[in-house]
This record gives sequence, structure tokens and C-alpha cells, in this order.
Amino acid sequence: MAAVKLTVEGGSFAYKRGVPVIENLNMSAESGELVAVLGPNGAGKTTLLRCLMGFLRWDAGRSALDGEDIRGIPEKRMRSRISYVPQARGNVTSLPAEDMILLGRIGKMGVFSSPGEADRKIARKIAGELGIGDLLPKRCTEMSGGEVQMVLIARALAAEPELLILDEPESNLDFRNQLIVLEALSRLARDGMAVIFNTHYPEHALTRASRSLILKKGGQSLFGETAKVVTEENIEEAFGVEAVIREFETPGNVYRSILPLRLSEGPKTGKKTGGNSVAVISVLFRDYELAGAVNALFHEYRDFIAGRMGMPSGEYHIINVILNAPEREILSLTDRLTRIGGVRVKATAAPEEGDF
Amino acid sequence: MKRTNKAVPGRVENRGAKIPPAARWIFLILLPLVTAAACLCIGRIPLSPADVLRSIGAKLTGGEGGTMLVESTLWRIRLPRILLGLLTGAGLSAAGCAFQSLFSNPLATPDTLGVASGASFGAALGLLLGMKLVGVQLMALAMGGAAVLLTALCGGGGRRQGLSGVVLAGIMMGSLFNALISFVKFTADTETELPSITYWLMGTLGAAGYRELALGAPPVLFGIAVLLLLRWRMNLLPLGEDEIRASGVNVRLLRGTVILCATLVTASSVSMCGQVGWVGLLVPHICRMRFGGDHRKLLPASVFLGAAFLVVVDTAARTISPSDLPISILTAMIGAPFFIFLMRRTEGWRL
Repeated sequence: MAAVKLTVEGGSFAYKRGVPVIENLNMSAESGELVAVLGPNGAGKTTLLRCLMGFLRWDAGRSALDGEDIRGIPEKRMRSRISYVPQARGNVTSLPAEDMILLGRIGKMGVFSSPGEADRKIARKIAGELGIGDLLPKRCTEMSGGEVQMVLIARALAAEPELLILDEPESNLDFRNQLIVLEALSRLARDGMAVIFNTHYPEHALTRASRSLILKKGGQSLFGETAKVVTEENIEEAFGVEAVIREFETPGNVYRSILPLRLSEGPKTGKKTGGNSVAVISVLFRDYELAGAVNALFHEYRDFIAGRMGMPSGEYHIINVILNAPEREILSLTDRLTRIGGVRVKATAAPEEGDF
Repeated sequence: MKRTNKAVPGRVENRGAKIPPAARWIFLILLPLVTAAACLCIGRIPLSPADVLRSIGAKLTGGEGGTMLVESTLWRIRLPRILLGLLTGAGLSAAGCAFQSLFSNPLATPDTLGVASGASFGAALGLLLGMKLVGVQLMALAMGGAAVLLTALCGGGGRRQGLSGVVLAGIMMGSLFNALISFVKFTADTETELPSITYWLMGTLGAAGYRELALGAPPVLFGIAVLLLLRWRMNLLPLGEDEIRASGVNVRLLRGTVILCATLVTASSVSMCGQVGWVGLLVPHICRMRFGGDHRKLLPASVFLGAAFLVVVDTAARTISPSDLPISILTAMIGAPFFIFLMRRTEGWRL
């Protein structure tokens, strides 16, 4: 799959003059990357996606595909590279899943033609990969919300896009179905797709997205590495919710999770930010090939590294690093290490004053 | 999401499992032809199949046909009427089917955008002005077109309205033109013009001859043909606007083409035989219950079934009562109970 990069440069949009929905927004998404868009209801998440795809025209700024303004790209060529998965509505057509997925091929077919055996094969293959092969004969009207969502994703993939844009793909789904959808997205990104998705769940950004965008009411936005953007302060500022982000340790990995505590009572005063913390990050892996990626990351954070110990232990490689850095840098490094498959990571922070 | 090996609930696969698809299509294509042939024999002047066959044979070979009565009943009265029935039935069903998908509304009919009301007003006006049948037909076509144009102008434009604006504008246009029809009726002479207007509005296939067919058939055939060619694309119609655009299809062009074709068909049908209600609602729904929402099957099925349906109903209309029963009365009287019966037996209507 060819590499693709979608960027927004200084995008601004308003439905009504003087009431900006999005103001001077910058973001990007590349092949192999999952980007989450977070924001409270009404902050303009869907509007952003519609601007991204050129359905709405930016008032200022532009969306560019590989550096080329999407307004200058012929409609047909652009749509064949970008696929869109709308929010699954309750009432869809009674088409069987297979025909619904085949509709994704329509951009590649002549005006009066119907899908042929080759198209059918692609549809079946995609359904198989997404694990919905047995849904093919079922009508969309008779499916559960989770099933419809997966069929819509399959339909978007049938166009063989390089960039996938999804509008709240996991909203209105239960626990398990959310995981099924998120797993599918992670897998697509691993296989080289660029994926942008809107979500109501900061947790999904934390656990899945390498980079995140937070939209605030009034048009401001924050974009960057998830660990640096999805922080307690930013969540409080954007959502007006006091939340704590903590790490969960499971056998094998560390997950970051967010717990909303209460509605915030105006801006926080007095409390921290700015100071450095001391932490130890332990990394353990078996495959020596991974050492390169791990060391590259440590190199990037070399300014914060106070000490470092490497010790091969039998077939394992163990590296301990002592950091003296702002909390978000520690979280960010931990997060990025976790994303290297096959590496086990644990971070231990020194107790802060007053924690006892 | 259940991922067991159990098959998805039965009805989906069982449906039509006994009849192979090819046989089903042969049946659907033969249905209107056989119906038409049978209805050539039925009527207040019954003709035997032998008479009909002999007369057809005579026409083909240029030999001696049957009696004057047989000849004129068959060729001057019944054949154009049956051709008109086939054409209008097929057309209105296709148009109804297209509109229901376009507006994602199971209650949409060929008249949703005000076409039929506009065309009816044109015809009523033509009758009031004492025009000949061809004049009435042209007036109907023109007014039907005007109604849709007005609807499109009023409901289209806006930046974020989508189709709901168009539907609302269509309903407004429909009632506006219905008011105009009432006005025409009000001013019409109660002895002569009013009855003819009223009768015409209720719909009859008896008025048109070959000349009217020659004028009215091409738009209907053209509309049906384009819709049939677009049948796979029409599966996109019930989806959201962004969804359609994202798939790389020009939404406006697709919707515009479908509206134009359905309009052509409807206006032209109304111009030949007045308002024939129910066909455009009933037939597509019967087909939906049977064939689901895939227009590759749904649309051709609607066309064939619609053609057969209207010929049968019209044959009943001209046979039961000595004075040609207005066809809308019968389509509703046969259609409504049959529809309810079907709806209760299957799982109801949906797109």
C-alpha cells in the first residue's frame, strides 16, 4: 500500500459568521497510524470530518493529501483513496450485507454496470478478514448495531482506500462490540492504513491512538501525541470534567485508563504542573531486533534520562532507565514503548510530596 | 455480535429457495405478456382466443381477418388500451419504487413531488378550455414539468437542507396544484365540462388511442429504461448524502437523474390516462416484500408486475360495469385489502 498523508493546515470553519466551530486547526494522519478525534458534544467533531473530506469548504486553511490541496484533486481519484464510515443509523436499507459491502466498489465501476465476480470476491475476502463472513446473506435491517457497524466498515474497505475516516464507529455499541470495532481499526492501522476516528471515549484514544486531536467548544484544538494531548488537564479544560488517568497493569502490558471523577468547578488553582518527577521505566523483551526501536526512543528522550542500565539476562534483554522529566513526558515515553509490539514496559514514579 | 456457526435466522435463506432464480425471472417477464394476451379476449364483447389468434395471424400475413366487430374491438379499442395499461403500470411502479428509495419513505408515491397534481391541473385546464385530447395531453405534460421545476427551485437550493426540503416543497406544490384543480372545477360548466374533468381526474385508460400513445409512450419508455440501467446505483439512494458522496458518486447527478426519469414517467402517464392511484405504492411494496431492497431485482420486478397488475385491473374496470369504471376506484378497492393481507402475512413494509 502506498504511503499516504492527510494534513490540515490552519483549517477554520464556521456555519455562522462570527461563531467559529473550528479555528486554525492543524493536524495530520499518516499510513500505519490511528488518530483519534475527541471533543464534547457539539464541539464540531463531525463537522471536522466533513471538512477533512471536502464535503464542507474550509473558510480558511486547507486539507491536503500528500501535500496537494484536496480541492485540486479530481473528485473520483480522491474518493478512491479516502473511505468514509458514517455513524451507523438505526434504519438502514434491507440490502443483504454482501450487497451493502459491494456498494463500496461503486466508485470503481461504470455508471450503468453492476458488480461482477471479481468485486464479489473482494467483498467476501474483506468480510472474512473482519470476521463477518457469516453475515453476508443477512439483511442489514435484521442486524444488531455492532453488526451494521462492521458491515459499514467492510463497505468502506471494499473501495480499497489508503485512508479510512470513521464517525464515532463505536458509539451505541456494547462493551464487546466496541472492542471488536476497535480491534479491527488497530489491525488496519498495523497493516498500513491511515485511520482517523471520532470518539466520545477518551479511553479509546488513550489505548488505541498514537496521536489525538482534542476539539474544544469555541474552535480551539490540541493535536499531538496521545500521551501528551490526552491528559488530565486537557480533559478538564475541554470537557469540564475532573478525571484521573492511571495505568493498569495486566500480565503482559500496561494500559492507561481514565476515570471521570466529577464535573469540574471552574478552573483549577494552585495544583502542580510544571515540576519534574522522577520515574523508573523498565523494559523487557526477548527479540534482540527490538533493541533498535527501543534505543531510538530512549535517544529521543535523552535530555530527560538521568541514568540507564542494560542487562541481558539469559534469553531476555532488560533495560532500566531513570527519568527526571515532566509527568507528561514520562507518560508519553511509556506509551510509545508500549506500542512497540513484543516489548513489556513498566513505569514506576517516585512518590510526590504529599502523596503519603 | 454473534459469531456462532448457526445460520442467520431462517427466513433469509429460505425465501424463494424452492424456485430457481431463472425460472422466477421467466415467470415475471411472461406475466405481463400472458396477461395482456388473455385480456385481449376478455371484455363486454367476449372474443374467443381463436378469433384473436386468427385476427393477429391475418394482420401479420395480410390475409382476411374476422368480422368487423372483432377487428375493430381488438385493434381499435382493446389493443391500445392494453398497451397503455402495460406502459402506465410499468412506469408508475418504477417511479414509485424510485421515489420510495430516494426519500427513504415507504409512503412516497409518484406524486410526492407534485408531478401528478401538476399534470392533472394541466389536463383539467385543457378540458376547461375545450382542447382536443392531444392538447390536453400536452398541457398535462407541461404542467407536470412545471410542478417539479417549482418544487426543485423551492426545495433545492439551500446549503444543508438535503432532501427533506425537496419533499416539503413537493407536498406544498401538490396542495397548491390541487387547489388550482378545485378552482378549475369550480369555474367549470356543471353540465358539460365538470363531469368530463371529474371523470378524467379519476383516471381511465379508455380515452387514449394510438395517437396519444405515440406522444406519451416515448417519455415513459425512456424513463423506465434509464431507471433500469441505473438499478444497481439506485441501491445507494436510501443512504445518507455524505455516504453517497464518499463512495465517489455524484449525489446530485444521481438524484437528479432519478427524479427526472420518475417525473417524465409520471407526468406522461397522467397525461394519457389521468391519475391512477395506488399502483406506484402497492406494486413496489409487494415486490419489496418478495425481493428485498436490492434494486437489481426490485426494479425489474416492479416494472413487470406493475404492467400486469394494471392490465388486469383495467380489464376488470371495463368488464364489470357497462360504463367504464374509473380505474383509481378499482386499484384502491383491489389494492388496499390485498396489500393489508400481504403486510400481515409477511413482516410488514420497509425499504
